[in-house]
Amino acid sequence: MLDTVREIETPEGIALRLRAAGALPRAQAWMVDMLLRMGVFIMAMIPLSLFGMGGNGLAMLLLFALTWVYSVVCEVWLGGQTLGKRALGLRVVNADGTPVTWLPSVVRNLLRAVDVLPGVYGVGLVSTLIDPYARRLGDIVAGTMVIHAVELPAGQQVPTFAAVPLPVVLAADEQAALVEFAERSAQLTPQRQEELANLLTPLTGRNDTAAVRQLIGHANWLLGRP
Amino acid sequence: MELERISVVLRPRAPREALDLGAAMLRANAVAVWSAWFAFTLPVFVLCNALGVLLGLPWLGLVLMWWLKPLFDRLPLYVLSRAVFDRPPSWCETLRGQRQWSWRSTLAALSWLRIDSNRALRLPMELLEGAPRKLRSARWKVLRRRIVADTSLLTYGCLQFELVLFLSAWLLGAMLIPHEWRADSFGDFFRHDVRDASTTWMLLAAAVAYLAMSAIEPLYVACGFALYLNRRTQLEAWDIDLAFRRMRTRLQALGKVLGVLLVCACVWPLSSHAATPAQASPKPVATSLQQVFQQPADSGDQRFATAATETYRDPRFGGEHTTHEWVFKYTPKPTPNAQPIPFPAFGNALAIIFKALMWLLLIVAIAALLRFAWRWRGRLMPMPAEPTSALSQSMRASVVVDAPLPADLAGAARALWQAQHQREALALLYRGCVEQTARLLKLPPSVDATEADWLRQAAAIDDPARAQRVIAIVRTWQFAAYAGRYPDDAGIEQLLSGWPVEAGASA
Repeated sequence: MLDTVREIETPEGIALRLRAAGALPRAQAWMVDMLLRMGVFIMAMIPLSLFGMGGNGLAMLLLFALTWVYSVVCEVWLGGQTLGKRALGLRVVNADGTPVTWLPSVVRNLLRAVDVLPGVYGVGLVSTLIDPYARRLGDIVAGTMVIHAVELPAGQQVPTFAAVPLPVVLAADEQAALVEFAERSAQLTPQRQEELANLLTPLTGRNDTAAVRQLIGHANWLLGRP
Repeated sequence: MELERISVVLRPRAPREALDLGAAMLRANAVAVWSAWFAFTLPVFVLCNALGVLLGLPWLGLVLMWWLKPLFDRLPLYVLSRAVFDRPPSWCETLRGQRQWSWRSTLAALSWLRIDSNRALRLPMELLEGAPRKLRSARWKVLRRRIVADTSLLTYGCLQFELVLFLSAWLLGAMLIPHEWRADSFGDFFRHDVRDASTTWMLLAAAVAYLAMSAIEPLYVACGFALYLNRRTQLEAWDIDLAFRRMRTRLQALGKVLGVLLVCACVWPLSSHAATPAQASPKPVATSLQQVFQQPADSGDQRFATAATETYRDPRFGGEHTTHEWVFKYTPKPTPNAQPIPFPAFGNALAIIFKALMWLLLIVAIAALLRFAWRWRGRLMPMPAEPTSALSQSMRASVVVDAPLPADLAGAARALWQAQHQREALALLYRGCVEQTARLLKLPPSVDATEADWLRQAAAIDDPARAQRVIAIVRTWQFAAYAGRYPDDAGIEQLLSGWPVEAGASA
């Protein structure tokens, strides 16, 4: 089965799911960052231009900081997110899922010099498209990756029905599917709800609306409601 | 459509994440997609550029290839849609399969919908669903509702990527050209080099653009298809559908097993009932395990065997399981238990010595415990009353608060003082003083008056000399009682002579 998730098992046996972010969201985040930095630089140039050569020097320093320091500082102190990544809901983490630290962050940002290579991020783009976790060369060397940080769109509340105990024991994923059905049934058309509920006639022994109601009742029971 | 055969993980994703799924699908089916892509587009590319050269319009190839993109989009979509629900088709199958899909939507995309930023999403809807015209616009409204912004961003993102690849190729070429071959400036380069051989440069540009397009256009289509899949997963709960189908299959299998078990349960009592009346005599009482379990459960019981086999077919009871567990990579070598002792006699002696030391240690510990218990024996009991020592009964009686004062107060106090019971002597003196003061001031006797109260009362005494003496006695008592500081013999003698102790005396 095809997916973009990188699963990592901790020594405690807990599976972490890192949802790797691909080239398109990353490029969008980079564009946001780029525009922000350009804005800051231009706004700073207006007063600095009054100071002649000294102002030029300060502008150079500012440009250096915006190019090289901005990303590292943001990644280490703002939880792995530059402002653009925060806007797009992305986050830089180590490949094992831990928060990114100084050394990997510095390495991946210094290697932008390679990723940017023909001048317009051609190497970075190709690397991002080829790598299964959409890492550019800097990420591969530093052992980091960019993931989607925002949680999945949550379903709605399970409607409150009288709880109906399940006649058979269900596996964990099956229980999860029942609860998911109850959560998302409000987003589905009534016909589709019935179609789905009719699939489980062996469980409910009913059809159509009664089956939908009973499935939601089962979900209520699974959630421990009275 | 058979949803069970889908080969991607369906779950509700944010649209941005769905784009990444598109890239993953493309990566997994890269060979099938690009073989079909080049098989169709390469001849078209050659034809277009040849046409451009023949007509004397070398830019025509570039523009035509760009214009025909919606036509080329059908190929990656065909491959990916088949690959997701079935298996990736070969390039011949892909080219042949194009006939199944209507051309009307492609014609629309090539003409008035050419500049449409939602093409990636429109493509799967029109080609895969093939709904009649009336339904289509309603369907499109539902489909695009939440994701139209993401679709447009996808279009611009892919445009950007194409530009990046196009420029990268040129810049890379420029980096590889030796310095002395380069034109002096960009202006020179375009004025002389390009103008002199404009057709060549134009064809080269068309080729680079074509390569960039070849890299990015399938990605565009794949991402659009992933957006479409994600939207339908949201709208129709495909992931729940799949989970329910799996559950249904399992439950039906379980139902069969339950049926078999039910039949067994019915048949068993019947057979035993049939047998019961024949044996009217009481059953012999089972005396041994052998008699109780006359027949092992698994020997030759056909019905049980079938039921067990059916049960083991349930994936939760039998079959193959993949389990993950942590195992030591390097198993620690078991240390040999009994090593031969090199010097048995020496070893035995050592053992005896250490054993003796151990006993000695035990004895010392027990002795220490006993000594500790003896030493602290009294401390753990509730505190006994203060030792009364040699204070005589009569004297104690005079010190106790409730007892009346002795007639000869000064003598009693002096006797106590000389018997080294200074505290008691001062207490007696204090009591006597207090009583005299109360009598003088005609105050009712009060038990709860403190020293400070008496100091205040002393101010009410008319005679200042007497007041001074009361204060002196109270202070002396306070110093003795609270600080353990006692006056010397002369001091006590002075306090014991005169008023309050000798009631009639003046100050």
